[in-house]
Amino acid sequence: MNLYDIIFYFFAVVTIASAAVVVFSRNIVYSAFSLLFTFFGVAGIYVLLNADFLAITQLLVYVGGILVLILFGVMLTTNVVSVEIKTGTMQTLPATIIVALLAGLLGGIVWTTDWFVGKRLSEVTSQTTSKEIGTALITTHVLPFEIASVILLVAIVGAAMMARRERSNTNI
Amino acid sequence: MNTDIIIKNLSLLTPELIVTGTLCFVLLGHAFDRKNSQLYVLLSFAGMLTALFTLTSYIGVKSSVFSGMLNVDPFATYFKIVIVFATLVILVMSRFSDEVNNETETVGEYYFLILSMCLGMMFMVGASNLIMMYLSLEMTGLTAYVASGFTRKAKDSSEASLKYLLYGAFSSGVMLYGISLIYGLTGTLNIAGINHVLLQGSANGWALSIASIFIIVGFGYKISAVPFHYWTPDVYEGAPVTITAFLSVASKAAGFAMMMRAFKVMFIDSSAVSVLAGTWTFIHGVQIQNVLIILSVLTMTLGNLVALWQDNMKRLLAYSSIAQAGYMLLGLAVLSNDGFAAVMIYFVVYLFMNLGAFYVVMLISNKINSEHIDKYKGLGRKSPFLSVALAVFLISLTGLPPTAGFIGKWMIFLSLINAKMIALAIIGVLNSVISLYYYVRVIRNMFLRDEQEAGERMTFPYAQQILLLSLLIPTLYFGLFFNQLIEFAQFSVAMVGVK
Amino acid sequence: MENILQLLSNPIVSAVLMALAPLLFILPYALVTIYIEMKMAAHIQNRLAYMQTGWHGTLQPFADILKLLQKEDIIPTAASKFLFILAPYLVFVGTYSSFAVLPFSSAFIGSNIDLGIFFLIAVSSLVVVGLLMSGWASNNKWSLFGALRSAAQIVSYEIPSALAILGVVMVSGTMSTQEMTHFQDGGIGQWIIFGGNLPLWQKLSLIPFMIILFLIYLVSSMAEVNRTPFDIPEAESELVQGYNTEYSGMKFAIFYLAEYANLFLVSAVVVILFFGGWTSPFGTFLSGPVWGAFWFVTKGMLFVCLNIWLRWTLPRLRVDQLMYVSWKVLTPFALLCVLAIGLIVVM
Repeated sequence: MNLYDIIFYFFAVVTIASAAVVVFSRNIVYSAFSLLFTFFGVAGIYVLLNADFLAITQLLVYVGGILVLILFGVMLTTNVVSVEIKTGTMQTLPATIIVALLAGLLGGIVWTTDWFVGKRLSEVTSQTTSKEIGTALITTHVLPFEIASVILLVAIVGAAMMARRERSNTNI
Repeated sequence: MNTDIIIKNLSLLTPELIVTGTLCFVLLGHAFDRKNSQLYVLLSFAGMLTALFTLTSYIGVKSSVFSGMLNVDPFATYFKIVIVFATLVILVMSRFSDEVNNETETVGEYYFLILSMCLGMMFMVGASNLIMMYLSLEMTGLTAYVASGFTRKAKDSSEASLKYLLYGAFSSGVMLYGISLIYGLTGTLNIAGINHVLLQGSANGWALSIASIFIIVGFGYKISAVPFHYWTPDVYEGAPVTITAFLSVASKAAGFAMMMRAFKVMFIDSSAVSVLAGTWTFIHGVQIQNVLIILSVLTMTLGNLVALWQDNMKRLLAYSSIAQAGYMLLGLAVLSNDGFAAVMIYFVVYLFMNLGAFYVVMLISNKINSEHIDKYKGLGRKSPFLSVALAVFLISLTGLPPTAGFIGKWMIFLSLINAKMIALAIIGVLNSVISLYYYVRVIRNMFLRDEQEAGERMTFPYAQQILLLSLLIPTLYFGLFFNQLIEFAQFSVAMVGVK
Repeated sequence: MENILQLLSNPIVSAVLMALAPLLFILPYALVTIYIEMKMAAHIQNRLAYMQTGWHGTLQPFADILKLLQKEDIIPTAASKFLFILAPYLVFVGTYSSFAVLPFSSAFIGSNIDLGIFFLIAVSSLVVVGLLMSGWASNNKWSLFGALRSAAQIVSYEIPSALAILGVVMVSGTMSTQEMTHFQDGGIGQWIIFGGNLPLWQKLSLIPFMIILFLIYLVSSMAEVNRTPFDIPEAESELVQGYNTEYSGMKFAIFYLAEYANLFLVSAVVVILFFGGWTSPFGTFLSGPVWGAFWFVTKGMLFVCLNIWLRWTLPRLRVDQLMYVSWKVLTPFALLCVLAIGLIVVM
């Protein structure tokens, strides 16, 4: 086991353990904070895969944006701690069976499938991916890129519409 | 890719560009004149009309743009025409809807959302890359979530929005998982490319089946096929009628188009001899024909059976639209060009009859502020024109001659019989018989039952009646003169990437 | 001796050493800055501040540190213990990891990655999470208010500051901080605020936009370090001390250290973005690796002093004014500048 493997397993354990906390914690604030480490672990794995741009974007978008928003939502909600979060109390047996089956199936697929391999890490020569990503975004993937911007516009308008609705309610 | 190629590609996307421009104008107009809904309708209507006209000049064009991200082919153009036409009708409908007009604060956003939903759907029907499929699906979804929660006073509107969002998020998550599996197997996201890799036959059959089923989950949610239909009744009931009508027709059409393209291009075994004859088979290892058959039978049976107990017109039409999706899935499960053409014909027919039914429900709810089926008693006397129109639409939804609905069903059953799937055809016919009961119940209430309280005659402005007529006439016209429609649909089955 | 060299050449050891190096800078820097701030504040307010401890109170920072270290480390009983302890370290980690991409001189940079300035924007978001964590874990309403205010403020001001950075990236054509500095090498006229080393007409037309971007970045960086006039997260007249009200002893010291480190960080970013980084203002005169570090720290300290000066001169903003400035003034102007710069650079 070399250094690379050790770092990989470190990040993998961080990701999975904190994701487990997110799911199983009874306190929603702990869940939210635990997400930080999940996102961070994923970003670490991206770095190991030589996807530096993706890793930093992951940090920026998920930690700086989504996580902070989640925390805001959680903290501005009153009585966060005293709320009972119901998890895994309904139909435990069928759920367990289905989940076990699905997990077994997916696990089996992961093991047995001959997955597509793009470029091995040892064959990667470029120092950074940002140039390639940038080129792709304005050539082959220009359409999805532009459509994503329309989607964001729509999302902003939708969010603003829903938010303004609250205010006009209180004004009445 | 240099600028010339981009401009050349963009010129093939003129209708989409027009819609995008229109929605930007609506948004800008909103910044200056917030409450002028007349302006928004005019702007949007003009934009969509231009888009429709430009679309007609693309009939027959068969091309792939933006490095295979999007296909502009007869199939896509056909569905785009359906979608844009539905949008036009919805725009006019919205102008007449009290529900929409009462929201003076946000009415500009409403039209913006309709247009962006239309744009998303136009991309959906042409998407030939899994990224594009997912993005356009999300675009339609996001706008639909917001739009279905549009009415601020109604509590169930917010509930509808939330439910829609939760189901949507879940199903698109599952679909993404499927997409990632497909990418892991083939190393490409282009559906024609995926087909090419899969044909070499090295992919693990189990993984492929699971991935295709996961992708079906995403599509199934969009077209509200059982068992992914749970959101449908609540959303259809809670959302404004105009949005409900739009979702039930255009969104479903886009979902079907995307699903048809995905399966036909991605999973078809193009080396099989039967392809040229119009029937085709899935690649060995993708066992989804049975899945499709089960889905369609479940969908129409459950939709029809549950509809029997509904007392709210919107809910009734919601279950009826689930059942209609079941019939259309039958056409898909045939796996032949005939079946596809039948589905496409059905959509044109469905566009008129379903929008018409929702439009009448909306007009009536404008007057009596209720959608309960008991309130329809004696409507035949209060407003004969509306009642007759609704009766025609409902008969057409049942699939009885001489309405267009008959032609739609007939083509589907015909394609089933041609493919020697008689049992399925019989199930479909039986289902139509069940559906007759609840459709006729409404008609009976209108004409044969007396109202509890004496109401005066309802009168509607001419403009509203003209829209109704323009939905009613095609419903009857296509029931009698359908040859051109069938020819157009059979011509439009052609897709890029398929022989 | 040979053993030591061998040890140093081990990648892990050298990485750890490199990681520790900025700490050697931050600790003395914090002491000096505390003293400067104390004295500047006093002179702005027409008083003298400490005069007893050492010559003109020079030993006062050391006394302060000693006092902080001796204090009892209190954890409130109702606090969420784990998060309460973790929060200050998270804030410090967020700030400290940004130092990895600061090019102190042509010879020294923690990690010369290609996405340096992007990385810097991204990891500083850890600070926000840390602040929210401290505010919530303290179980004190003032702390929570402070944390929420702080997070709202930092998130809002990240947008104009990122846009300002984007403008500079468009001019220099790189996101690497070291490359960006090389781009400005060759004297004061080559600095990006004066248009970088582009052709003359481009330089001239860039200057006004660059000055606007510089002001935008300066304002939003001040907001991001939570100092007056943007100190509403810890407005002592309203919120006691904001998110760190409940903290004492070593943990408070870490918050304090992180704040000062952050102050230098944003000043250093201003220097890298607009004022030539480690390059000498006189071209090749007084340049070289060692002089580079000198110029970098000097320029950085200049902006630190500017921050201190503004802190003790301007009154505090209200919350609505704060949001107004960010969303309706800085962001639109930044967008316009980015657009204009794009046009100029392309032509």
